[in-house]
Amino acid sequence: MVDDLLLRTDGLSLRYPAGTLALDELTVEVPRGSVGLVGANGAGKTTLLRLALGQLLPTAGTIEVVGRPVAEDPVGVRAHIGFMPEHDCLPPDQTAADVVATLGELAGLPPRAARQRASEVLDLVGLDEARFRPIGGFSTGMRQRTKLAQAIVADPEVVLLDEPTAGLDPIGREEMLALVGRLAGFGISALVATHLLDDVQRVCDRVVMIDGGKLRHAGATQALLHRTGAVRVQVDEGADRLAEVLGAAGVAATVVDDATLDVRIDGDEGRVLDLVRDRADDLGLALYALTTRRTSLDELFVDQPT
Amino acid sequence: MNAPSAGAVYDRGYRPYEGARGGRGASRAALVRLSIRRALGLRRSWRQKVLPWSLLAIASIPAVVNVGVKYITRDTPAADFDLITFREYVGVSTTLLLFVAVTAPDMVCPDRRNRVLPLIFARPLTGNDYVLAKVGALTAILFGFGFLPQVVLFVGQMFVVRGGALDFLTENLEVLWQVPAAVALFSLYLATLALAISASTPRRVVGGVTVLATVLISATVATTIVRAGNDSFFEGGSLWGLLSVIDVPLRMSDLVFLGHVDPESLVGGAPGAGIGVVLVYAATVAGSLGYLVHRYRQVP
Repeated sequence: MVDDLLLRTDGLSLRYPAGTLALDELTVEVPRGSVGLVGANGAGKTTLLRLALGQLLPTAGTIEVVGRPVAEDPVGVRAHIGFMPEHDCLPPDQTAADVVATLGELAGLPPRAARQRASEVLDLVGLDEARFRPIGGFSTGMRQRTKLAQAIVADPEVVLLDEPTAGLDPIGREEMLALVGRLAGFGISALVATHLLDDVQRVCDRVVMIDGGKLRHAGATQALLHRTGAVRVQVDEGADRLAEVLGAAGVAATVVDDATLDVRIDGDEGRVLDLVRDRADDLGLALYALTTRRTSLDELFVDQPT
Repeated sequence: MNAPSAGAVYDRGYRPYEGARGGRGASRAALVRLSIRRALGLRRSWRQKVLPWSLLAIASIPAVVNVGVKYITRDTPAADFDLITFREYVGVSTTLLLFVAVTAPDMVCPDRRNRVLPLIFARPLTGNDYVLAKVGALTAILFGFGFLPQVVLFVGQMFVVRGGALDFLTENLEVLWQVPAAVALFSLYLATLALAISASTPRRVVGGVTVLATVLISATVATTIVRAGNDSFFEGGSLWGLLSVIDVPLRMSDLVFLGHVDPESLVGGAPGAGIGVVLVYAATVAGSLGYLVHRYRQVP
């Protein structure tokens, strides 16, 4: 059955033979689109990707990718998935065109179609002129783009990208994020595993946070940022006094310095802004700025209770 | 006003693929095809083509020479002289040993060394598919390189012997199944053994040297043990001769062509030699396959 979910897990657990519990009863439903899978190193991101690919079998629970139960056909489900590993995985003595075409053939494309597709996707990722050069001479950015090209050569329904910007310089990172951001427009859903929350914030419309193999948060990226948003308040002085009276009114505020404080928005944003204005006036403080500030995913991740 | 440009730049964007797709069988076939292509140096530089095609040419030399001798001696008392027989020619295929020592590591070592395996196993392929594809590809190449010179030998003799082609064909009908059977057994044995040895290391050089060393050292050890137990060089063999890994498939060829082990071989004359050869052959092939499956077992 194919549905509109990119990923569905139910009580998904995996314990490695050595005893490490990599995933602990993970239950989550993620719609198609660009989804960030975030967590620190060792959080279980790569394990989840390998389970989605059917390369590992769960010790408990179930996992479905684009509506297909992986346990029922762990090999067949891979025909609908593209995968970009984190590590270097390209033969240096072969050209990008050969490698991408070869992996296209292995995905089930006829040889001629695989070569044609390889040419198209390498063109798409900006390697049109370099595609007949050996990969050994490629920069890190070119290798990452070749890895992305091989992931989409067979036009999969979903691509699993494991740390796609790892090791890239700022320009390379921008280029890779721009490419990842375009995938949804191609009709390809993306599950982007990364520990760089800024990447997710920029290109993913949904986010799944895991830590220690457990789900910490899942939802639309903007909704998460909005719900945990804050207002930065700048006054002439006495930020601590303003924070105190706001606290007494039930609004949490954090003093940044004598003239600055962050006021957390929980619920009606308009009511909180009115309250800040009125209390500042009560205290005789000059209110210089009220800047709606969205909390970054980094802050959300750190703030979440484990 | 500038003249309008004659050229234009088009952003072709991304085009979804709507053509034919094969299933798991197509992926397996592609892995076999790509492995054969790589081994033969196809779509690679001329340097990669030199070794396989040179070896095929070298392996064919005895056939060409034999056909030439047959032609020259066709009207002489030496007309029945065979420089080399079909059975012995399977043994000449050991010239392919060098080819195997280069090709088997090249088929599997780079995939592990360059960490390409995660990409391959992200396709609809399992570890068992990988093993069967590699064994199938190398066996097919060895079969081709072992069989084609035999075809040259057979067809060449057909047309140069004095009795005529039809007589030669009817007199040698059994060769038509013996040769492919013996070459197939030889190819399967050498392919599985060489791939198993090569799969144990990510380095091609180490794999190739280990393949050659295994064959040469085992042959030396077996010969030493067998001869040490004999009073004279031609006294006969013993089952210790089965320690020579390259002798095992050759003795299988004896069984195919003669129905018994060559009495002049390392195991010739030993009691139970035929059964021993079959058992060691089967154990080596099964053991090599088992090791390969174990080595690539991580993907269900």
